[in-house]
Amino acid sequence: MDLEVVRKVARIARLELSEDELEEFSRDLEEILEYLSGLDKAPSCEEYGFNPVPIEDVMREDEPCIDIDPSLLRELLDTYQDWVRGPRLA
Amino acid sequence: MTRPSFIQGLHKLNERFHIFSEIIERDDDWEIPEDGFHFSAKDNLCSLEMQTRAGSKILDGYRPPFDATSISRLKEAGGVLVAKDNMDEFGFGTFSTNCAYGVPRNPYDEERCCGGSSGGSAAAACLIEGHLALGESTGGSIACPAAFCGVYGLTPTYGRVSRYGLVDYANSLDKIGLLSRSAEQIVKHLPTISGKDPMDPTSWAQPELLLEGMEAKKIAVPREALDGLDESVSDTFMRIMNNMESIGMEVEEVSIPSLSYSLPAYYILATSESSTNLARYSGMRFGVRNDNYNSHFNDFFSQIRSREFGKEAKRRILLGTFSRMVGFRDRYYMKALQVRSLVIREYQKVFEDHDVVMTPTMPFVAPRFNEIDRMRPLDMYKADFLTVPPNLCGLPHVSIPSDCIDGMPVGVQVVAPHWQEGMLADIMLRWEEHFVPKHPEVVL
Repeated sequence: MDLEVVRKVARIARLELSEDELEEFSRDLEEILEYLSGLDKAPSCEEYGFNPVPIEDVMREDEPCIDIDPSLLRELLDTYQDWVRGPRLA
Repeated sequence: MTRPSFIQGLHKLNERFHIFSEIIERDDDWEIPEDGFHFSAKDNLCSLEMQTRAGSKILDGYRPPFDATSISRLKEAGGVLVAKDNMDEFGFGTFSTNCAYGVPRNPYDEERCCGGSSGGSAAAACLIEGHLALGESTGGSIACPAAFCGVYGLTPTYGRVSRYGLVDYANSLDKIGLLSRSAEQIVKHLPTISGKDPMDPTSWAQPELLLEGMEAKKIAVPREALDGLDESVSDTFMRIMNNMESIGMEVEEVSIPSLSYSLPAYYILATSESSTNLARYSGMRFGVRNDNYNSHFNDFFSQIRSREFGKEAKRRILLGTFSRMVGFRDRYYMKALQVRSLVIREYQKVFEDHDVVMTPTMPFVAPRFNEIDRMRPLDMYKADFLTVPPNLCGLPHVSIPSDCIDGMPVGVQVVAPHWQEGMLADIMLRWEEHFVPKHPEVVL
């Protein structure tokens, strides 16, 4: 895979890669994608699903309940008063 | 010399074999209650008592506020969770060598791997008498280590066991199962962890689990699965098939032409799904935190992900992100979905005339670590060619410990139709009557 393509994919995936990593992944992905392209020869199939077995929707009564105590979030996340701290958006 | 207590024994085993990422804190003289049993869980299953890190540095320090359904159900049945098992980071590996908290050593030969990605679970099941281990399989992560460590490893039908509390790898492929030295113990506890769970909609469509009254008589062996095996594994498998015939089973060679497309289809689906699942690890919500709040959010997320993800995780994120990009989605992702349907149809055709499909579980015995170091990533992916097809299709399967080659165990993989775990139970229990594998004796 071309170095510039790897760089672009990494940016989309929020990964900062060193030049050495870029070169290594470029070689690996080239080799892997060549193998995966064998799929081009596979017959098509009109019917397909996103899961290997049929899945049913699960509906529950629309009643308020507490699954996990929200106050635990204060311990699990970095919070300030009742706000969760995060990075700048701009 | 006094015999070590149970907890001391776990610590001593861990010093030597690196099986566990964490062991429960108890006094040295603590023992398992008489009416209970001990179990461990792959470290991608959430647990109240111990961290859940899924073999990744990025989850260091994560303490879930709840138990995974499979863990809570075993506890309700008298189980005591004693440890979390080492694993490849997020399940990304065939040999349990991509582990942030220790690379487990094979109980039969410490210079060799345990198989992956539930390597710690398989080694724990092998080394500790009476032990049950919860594993998870996406592309063969229960069957492979079970084969390499000489234990039974059962992966149920996709959706049979709730995945609530599982650190997701690939949602359309992940399945939770059991590993043990004893087929009987697995058959006993499969109903415990199975069943509908409102917290996991994929568990909701399942029919009743029937483990009794099924008898497997006709075995299909796909010829496409017999290419690419080590000669010794091939010879051993043929001998086992002869044994199957001698106990009254009928063995027939069949063809499943689309099997050869399973591996590429699997790696496209698995990496596509995992690359979206791993987007949640951003330095804010779970595990390692980024305190650099003054940075732009793009940098904030990228910094922590680049620093804490291992090499194989990065490789799979890149591959999965690429497969889903505009211009490539139809060629890779959509085609892989079609191939999955095709392979399911071909399995179903075989099951019209046969009860189960059998192959060796892995094409070779557990490799040495220095052999793994020389393998390219693609070579490692290709090693999964026997375990991937049933996993891609969500079919229940079990790896049965069947023989040894030069002291290393070989597994036979048995695949049954969707929801027919009873067929596997029949074969496992009958096999256990005839064959008792020797497990390594470890002096602590």
